[in-house]
Amino acid sequence: MTAVGVGGTRRKSAIRLGPVVERILGVVLLALAAIWLVWNLLADPTRFSGSVLIGLQNGLLYALVALGYTMVYGVIELINFAHGDLFMLATIVAAALMVSVLGVGHVGAVTLLPLVAALVGCMAFGAAVNVSAEFFAYRRLRTAPRLAPLMTAVGLSFVFRGIAQQDYVNGSAQKNWPIEWGGPIVEGVYLYKLLLVAAVTTPLLLGMRYIVSRTKMGKAMRAVAQDQDAARLVGINVNGTISFTFALGGALAGAAGVLYFLVQAQTYYDTGTQFGLIAFTAAVLGGIGNLTGAVVGGLAIGLIQSINEGGAHGLGSNWSQSVVFLILIVLMVFRPEGIFGRASTEKV
Amino acid sequence: MPSTSRRRAWLSDYTWPLGYVAVIMFLFLLYQAILPNLIDEVSGPVAAWLPVATINECLMWAIMALGLNVVVGYAGLLDLGYVAFWALGGYTAGWLMAAPFNWSWNFHLFAPVAETYPGTHITFWLVILIAGCLCALLGVVIGGPTLRLRGDYLALVTLGFGEVITQFFRNSNDIDGYNVANGDAGIPIIDPIGLGPFSLIKGVPASLTNSGSDNIYKILVLGALLGLCLFVSLRIRGGRLGRAWLAIREDQLAASTMGVSLVRSKLLAYAVGAFFGGIGGVANAAGITGAVSPSGFDFSKSVLVLLMVVLGGMGNAWGVTIGAFLLAWLNSNGLRQIGVAVGAASGKNLEAVLPRYNFLILGLLLVLMMLFRREGLLPEKRTKALMTMPSRIEMESVGAHIAEAEAKTKAFTESTSDADAEIAASASAVSPHLEPPPERSARSVKDTDR
Amino acid sequence: MSQPATDASRAGVHEASANVLYADHITIRFGGLVAVSDVSFGIPPRSIVSLIGPNGAGKTTFFNVMTGLYQASEGTVYLDGRDLTGLKPNRRAALGMARTFQNIRLFNLMTVEENIMVAMHTHLRSGVFSTVLRLPRQRREERAAADAARELLHYVGIEKTQGELARNLAYGDQRRLEVARALALRPRVLLLDEPTAGMNPRESAQFNEFVHRVRDEKDLSVLLIEHDMSVIMKISERITVMDHGHVIAEGPPEEIRNNQTVIEAYLGKAGGGARKTTQS
Repeated sequence: MTAVGVGGTRRKSAIRLGPVVERILGVVLLALAAIWLVWNLLADPTRFSGSVLIGLQNGLLYALVALGYTMVYGVIELINFAHGDLFMLATIVAAALMVSVLGVGHVGAVTLLPLVAALVGCMAFGAAVNVSAEFFAYRRLRTAPRLAPLMTAVGLSFVFRGIAQQDYVNGSAQKNWPIEWGGPIVEGVYLYKLLLVAAVTTPLLLGMRYIVSRTKMGKAMRAVAQDQDAARLVGINVNGTISFTFALGGALAGAAGVLYFLVQAQTYYDTGTQFGLIAFTAAVLGGIGNLTGAVVGGLAIGLIQSINEGGAHGLGSNWSQSVVFLILIVLMVFRPEGIFGRASTEKV
Repeated sequence: MPSTSRRRAWLSDYTWPLGYVAVIMFLFLLYQAILPNLIDEVSGPVAAWLPVATINECLMWAIMALGLNVVVGYAGLLDLGYVAFWALGGYTAGWLMAAPFNWSWNFHLFAPVAETYPGTHITFWLVILIAGCLCALLGVVIGGPTLRLRGDYLALVTLGFGEVITQFFRNSNDIDGYNVANGDAGIPIIDPIGLGPFSLIKGVPASLTNSGSDNIYKILVLGALLGLCLFVSLRIRGGRLGRAWLAIREDQLAASTMGVSLVRSKLLAYAVGAFFGGIGGVANAAGITGAVSPSGFDFSKSVLVLLMVVLGGMGNAWGVTIGAFLLAWLNSNGLRQIGVAVGAASGKNLEAVLPRYNFLILGLLLVLMMLFRREGLLPEKRTKALMTMPSRIEMESVGAHIAEAEAKTKAFTESTSDADAEIAASASAVSPHLEPPPERSARSVKDTDR
Repeated sequence: MSQPATDASRAGVHEASANVLYADHITIRFGGLVAVSDVSFGIPPRSIVSLIGPNGAGKTTFFNVMTGLYQASEGTVYLDGRDLTGLKPNRRAALGMARTFQNIRLFNLMTVEENIMVAMHTHLRSGVFSTVLRLPRQRREERAAADAARELLHYVGIEKTQGELARNLAYGDQRRLEVARALALRPRVLLLDEPTAGMNPRESAQFNEFVHRVRDEKDLSVLLIEHDMSVIMKISERITVMDHGHVIAEGPPEEIRNNQTVIEAYLGKAGGGARKTTQS
């Protein structure tokens, strides 16, 4: 299966071991991970299955957000630091829309309409904010040294958090919402939650794949990702394509926000930072710039995290963040191209 | 050099340092001698707008900012995890200047505390050195794997390290069963700063605790530490290593080709920057908060220090110091005071409200600076140019384009036919046997027309 | 009068010990494409050698392998008989390999003296502590370095630019500064990548003189990549011609001038054919 990618960086890894050594190390790592998984499974199968379900649920959400990161990075090689915080803002908008405006309480068949409304609303919100950010901030810095757009993204991330922190938005404390779920519960996992997440994310993910690989816009995205100047010379509207990419990414973040809100029933100004970093790690794990990679990475990280937290032999939620970060560090240092990326010479 | 310009150079070399010493002395005397003797109407607002605690905080932040300036401003390595050194410095103070674990042992080394007080108690001045060295080591550990990473990935990896380390300290009450650093509770009651021989001067206390009058003396202590950091920064910058850093910041490939060891220079940048961080961390724990706890260390601190470096002008030690003073003041006290002032003028009480906007304001400030004044307030003349030059892809202009290796032969010949014609023309100028090939150039023009 | 490349190339190629710089069976592959194919090449001491060939022949790639920016897929580079495999660019610079770049890569935001002094990095000994404390040895070193830098500025003829930022220099002066910077390494071999690009004939003539002077006075060898035939023919003691990654001819200028393979490489078979028709 050829992995669908939008550009993507081919880069030298920081520490170059021989290809044979790298291959061996990769296999060893995978083997260790597999052993750890099986160990947990055998130790307590029911807990394990619960963790797998939660992992899938979280992993799909991570995949959605990771897609946003990966597409933007693929096109203009910018790590959109503020993406996670955009997702966080979307959760707040979703909360406002669904509970305050549409009065959602217990989730059932009747919530379908409010759900669709919230999805449309939040995806539009996400797209709009992301496109504006690109237009007002990142566009001007396209030719600037890499430090500038990066720091701008950090600044925007803080702006989003600052907005969310205000009392009239969400306040400084975590806010819990009265969302109730019914349906069967397996090992503490609400199956309907998982179903909902899967039902919404799957079409979105497939839709993204379709757009990038089959539509004209998608082709333009891939062209701009390869070589902006060449794309411009062939008549592609580079600015428009980049805006479109940001819009897609923002929309995905918006959708993820709605789902997260419904599933976790809480909003907190700090959610975005952690979530964003995990999602970014997922994107790197799968190969930044690669759509399939983002999905695979998201699921992988989701599973690792949930088994770590819930499994019999995990380190516990205290160490989740460290585990994910360590994965990120090891990836960046030894295999920045991730699973599906191509390890060839540096992109010139 | 004629003697007048040598004198002038000497003077300009010394204006900033002299000015700095003057400011520190002034601040000290302001609270020690001047304000107590002024009327309340004057001393009140001064104390409200610039309390001693805030002055000390500003000095401490400036130390951190100078440390990050070495890494980001001099060597051009974007480090988003600087808070890690803060934490390690603070915890070093917690380990070596307190009694955290109900230990029954007793180790004192010039510490200004009672001999019977259990735990490890080493004097502040030695702990600074130890923390600096420990942090320098950590800096090398963090910097090592990142040496070949490009800017954005480097930022993320350093951010990751920062988060891992702070989470380590948060979980430190139970690492494999051992209590390493008390976890969330942190380590309270850190020793006061011993003044040793200075206490012989009349009026100078034996050690500096958190009392109001002692805090005034901390202005001198922190001012001296900051001065030391400034001094070391500027000295290194003017020498061989500083030149190497500047070269790396601008074009590391060319720097390497000219004999600069990238590995050593970058690791040294991390080490020196981290060393300052260690000093600041101890100063913070012992002098300002009197305790150390994980809640004080998060990503926003790293960003705030970065903002100080950017605001002050990356690479300019004095600018960064001023930027640090400004932002630290805003963060610790300024926003509140402005809120009060606006409240007094407009009737609305913003004193509590405005500080809550600090994330927002800081973020906006960072964005606006990047958009409109990337070089900072007091840029080093080079920084302005560096931040406006388009970024140079490494292998570009080394001459051998990778594209040439990947292009198909046909496309390749077509694209270089012009250059070949030129070469052929110059070749024919040399040898009378050769004639310029008009046919071929005409043909190539037709090809490209298609 | 075309000779098979292998025969002609034996003329100037000695073993690693006899040459200042010796490249032994270098092959460079990028993915599937072979940029340089089994090239062996030696530079005798105190000589001036040129490397020419059409665009894309692999010349600069070859340079980059010598200086350590790329790793050769096969083959070894020797400097003064010493195997350079695995050594990073800065180590090679320390051992005496200096280069200039095709598209000038000066440190634009540093002054001309600082640019030169960066290249002295390996020869200076002061560490962090002696710099901070400004020990007498460090002060002496710095002063000597500054003096040496100014001397080099004088040597290449741009002493009037003292104190200027490198970016503010005229193009010709920038090229000279690059050479001065390379000379600061006290090199054994100086690799110049298209040094006369953008020069007018008078400047090129001055450059020829300069190369001879440098070779004589600084006791080094010079390897040039060039396209300007007049320069090459006048100053080279030996010319190596590359095309599509192979050495197709090697020898003194007179031989290369008349070498059929070389002519064909530059002009294509049609050019060679045209020559035949006009002659008859």
